[in-house]
Amino acid sequence: MIRRWLQKRRFMHEHRWTGARMDAYFDDELSSRERHRLEAHAGICPECKRMLATLRKTLEGLRGLSRDPSPPAGLADSVIERLRGQG
Amino acid sequence: MPRLSTQEEGVLIERAQAGDRFAFEELVRRNADRLYAVVLRFLGDSREAEDVTQEAFLRAWRGIGGFKGGSQFYTWLYRIGLNEAKRRAARRPPPGKLTSLDEHPHTEAPDWSEAPETRAAEGELRGVLERAVRALAPDYRAPLVLRDVEGLSTAEAADVMGLGEAAFKSRLHRARLAVRAAIDEYLEEER
Repeated sequence: MIRRWLQKRRFMHEHRWTGARMDAYFDDELSSRERHRLEAHAGICPECKRMLATLRKTLEGLRGLSRDPSPPAGLADSVIERLRGQG
Repeated sequence: MPRLSTQEEGVLIERAQAGDRFAFEELVRRNADRLYAVVLRFLGDSREAEDVTQEAFLRAWRGIGGFKGGSQFYTWLYRIGLNEAKRRAARRPPPGKLTSLDEHPHTEAPDWSEAPETRAAEGELRGVLERAVRALAPDYRAPLVLRDVEGLSTAEAADVMGLGEAAFKSRLHRARLAVRAAIDEYLEEER
């Protein structure tokens, strides 16, 4: 019973540790050891696994938004025209 | 248009600060498109984004003497653009009545090489993302656009926002969680 309690406590400790470092994980701010630690917990924790997967999809999707939109043609020229109009 | 080296840009900035408008016009040519992209992603309205981009450059020209060179020129420009965009956003009706990006078709040709169902799913996901980003309060939307859409480093994006890195990361974290929740909900519905 004590063993189970200790296992649960250890799991919850890793769960909180992982949750607090998800951003750092995707921002490449973790050491290789920390990355492995986070991935190891996500491998056995359904909640963290899902969080990691959906955050990855979210960040990939957000990065994809940068390919769009195309600026209007002649944008710089219209800015310059306004600048010149101001004297 | 290729990016200028830091040295080339520095020369143009110095000339502009000395009153050389042609030098400033070159800075406009080099930075207008990327400023527009950030502002549009923030506001979600192409006409308004164009107007804000123009206004930001007019303000930048008037204030170029105050640019200290401690940060990149474009991060200084982004700050001016986002401040102007926030002023516009504050005058708007509440969310829900905002103009959708969907009303402004993209001029770039989409990639038709994938299967139709994949394209449709990606289009839907993109729509969910765009709506989730627009639903964020401006103070949370800006960090997300700068860091996760435009790909600025944390230090650069925090500089644009005029925030310390810890405060910036805190806002970014909350913004990411909010958008992630929308994606999670969408994916759950798809399952």
